[in-house]
Amino acid sequence: MQGISKAFPGVQALEKVDFDCVAGEVHALVGENGAGKSTLMKILAGAYRPDEGTISIRDKTIAPATPKEAQAYGISIIYQEFNLIPELSVCQNVFLGREPSKGRLFIDNAALYQRTKALLSELGADIDLHTKVKNLSVAQQQMVEMAKALSLNADIIIMDEPSAVVSGKELKSLFGIIRSLRDSGNAIIYISHRIDEIFEIADRATVLKDGKLVGTISTRDVDKPSIISMMVGRNLDETFPAKEQGEKEEILALEDVSRGTVLKGVSLKVYSGEILGIAGLVGSGRTELARVIFGADPIDRGEISFKGERIKRCTPKKAISRGIAFVTEDRKKEGLVDCLPVKNNLTFPILDKIKKWVFIKNEEERSICNRCIQQFNITTPSINQEVQYLSGGNQQKVILAKWTNTNPTLIIMDEPTRGIDVGAKAEIYNLMRMLAKQGTAIIMISSELPEIIGMSDRIVVMHDGRIAGTCASFEATEERILMLATCQVA
Amino acid sequence: MNIERWKERWTTIVVYLVLAVLMIFTGLASDVFFTSRNFDNIARQAAGLGLVSIGQTFAILTAGIDLSLGSVVSLTSCLTTGLVLGKPGLLIPVIALVIALALLVGFLNGFIITRSGVHALIVTLGMMSVVQGAVLLYTKAPYGEIPESFGFLAWGKLGPIPVPVFLLGAVAAVAIVVLHRTTFGRYVYATGGNEEVARLSGIKTARVKIYTYMICSFTAALSGLFLASRMGMGDPLVGQAYMLDSIVPVLIGGTSLTGGKGGVVGTLPGIFIMVVLSNALNLLDVSSYWQWIVEGGIIIVAVAFYWREK
Repeated sequence: MQGISKAFPGVQALEKVDFDCVAGEVHALVGENGAGKSTLMKILAGAYRPDEGTISIRDKTIAPATPKEAQAYGISIIYQEFNLIPELSVCQNVFLGREPSKGRLFIDNAALYQRTKALLSELGADIDLHTKVKNLSVAQQQMVEMAKALSLNADIIIMDEPSAVVSGKELKSLFGIIRSLRDSGNAIIYISHRIDEIFEIADRATVLKDGKLVGTISTRDVDKPSIISMMVGRNLDETFPAKEQGEKEEILALEDVSRGTVLKGVSLKVYSGEILGIAGLVGSGRTELARVIFGADPIDRGEISFKGERIKRCTPKKAISRGIAFVTEDRKKEGLVDCLPVKNNLTFPILDKIKKWVFIKNEEERSICNRCIQQFNITTPSINQEVQYLSGGNQQKVILAKWTNTNPTLIIMDEPTRGIDVGAKAEIYNLMRMLAKQGTAIIMISSELPEIIGMSDRIVVMHDGRIAGTCASFEATEERILMLATCQVA
Repeated sequence: MNIERWKERWTTIVVYLVLAVLMIFTGLASDVFFTSRNFDNIARQAAGLGLVSIGQTFAILTAGIDLSLGSVVSLTSCLTTGLVLGKPGLLIPVIALVIALALLVGFLNGFIITRSGVHALIVTLGMMSVVQGAVLLYTKAPYGEIPESFGFLAWGKLGPIPVPVFLLGAVAAVAIVVLHRTTFGRYVYATGGNEEVARLSGIKTARVKIYTYMICSFTAALSGLFLASRMGMGDPLVGQAYMLDSIVPVLIGGTSLTGGKGGVVGTLPGIFIMVVLSNALNLLDVSSYWQWIVEGGIIIVAVAFYWREK
């Protein structure tokens, strides 16, 4: 790819970027959010057309105008949000639109089954092929996506932040698959902003910043800090802010809380001025726990009390008025109203406080929004910009700003730094510590162990809807947490 | 002011331009079009449809729809004329009664939708059938009579301007202010844009939806009262065509069927495009069945246009 440029309304997403990839390598594409990684790959995959620049495969210039054309050139992309149809089975998804046919009209189900089976065993994945995709775990769905890419005979496979959705053991096995694909001569482009992963898996790395190419390097020749400084354009140490706690007072207490099969008798206490980290594998009940505390889901059994007062039949509205905030994991589905401006999204929970009779006080709203944008360093052309046009990091800052506006006593953050670049991460860490110092209680759910250990004052590890163990941060190690999370200790 | 915002404004401006072009062409083709008598006529046509379309805009903004509007129009117009029977003294209490009844229908729509989780399309379709059946049990033929004074609503004038213009204008103005200046309006957009986000932001989305369907029924009641005034008697099938006709101006106006985008500012020219078109075909002596064909074409073209814009 040479001299690729692409502009969207209000932003120059890519400016004369060159990128190359050879067969048999894993090439990492790194950069902060909004650096243009995804845009560049979407152009390669035919989802966008470049404003200028050329793409060539094996010295032949191509111009994929649609994803289908790109597929014909052997380019396949696996997005963070999978393109799978939940109600269809694994086989049906893998060969969707290209079903092996019998007599043109009928689907050859036997061939469909056989070929899917062959693909999945090549990947070393053990999945029942007749299961509907909606019943699979995220990691399994990723396997199905990989099988789909392989079924297209793709020799260039692009993976958009695969580690954002799987972790731990599953990520390890994913790396194994990537290596074997590489060894059989495929080119793999791996988008990520987790530096550690890049050193583990990639042969070369291309760094983008603000839509421009910073450079392409071999991962053997450089070290971690130099890549980070390439990404952010400055030296940034990956340390966490010093742990300073505010005054300690019991804020939240859960006693034997259960809900269906997802929460089984959870008891825990949260104090003001502390950051309580909740670790555990995806599906261990972490998010479900957050949702019942916030009143988003009802509980079947047990007791929740907030500031010593027992809470019955909580709703999000009541939770907010008591001073609880919930930064959800999935920005798109639960965090923001995509099609509405930054302004509206920022003030949903506090509209009642800035109204006169039924009318919104425009001036006050605008000044609150402008203050948020300044304080949280949100990059947006205006407060009237629809949030769907912001980068992931800026979207997350909008969500954090929205909840800090409510002056909460307890903030629950579910994967607060997922899909966010190093610079924004540091800003969010500092903000969390500052809030804790001011006496806010914070519950942080995270799959990133360094983050859990680095940020938390206390750590609770969940497994299968139960609390598998609790430890103070000074005695926590990644190994200990993982063992608790996988229930390998009594 | 940024580009996206202008683009959004621009699509609304296009709708107004289409209306202007349509009016100019009709004016050129027919010398009757630009007469005050014809304008009065257009105003009377626009008010009936316009009121329900404004209500429908609210429902569609929450990503719902109200198919029972038409039957509520029939219900209110029949009950008003049938109960008043020309006695001026009964007018006020009867109007209060039919509006209350309409609000009850709206409440039931919203309550059932939010409690059962069944899509608004199904619930309001069922409600349409229930209400229409009730109206037909009440009377199978046009029935009743209004006191002369009540004719003022449809036939009166304030200065040179017909009363229906004020009626539609006032309701549209209130609707625009509610949508863009009040917290409730914000909540309507939020609920339609992403209901789960709205709920987790502390918005009582169920309540927002119930109010929305009550607003729908309220505009239907106003429309029914207006039609009673216009025709002097209640027709049990008068509102039937509104079931679908009320949706057309909303879509032409750029409100998205998936909710959260659009508003009454776009619906208004949408209403007049429909009414002027029918007026033009009338003046040019074209069969009214052609109107169906043209109407259908317009919906498809308009919605395709908005999809492309996206």
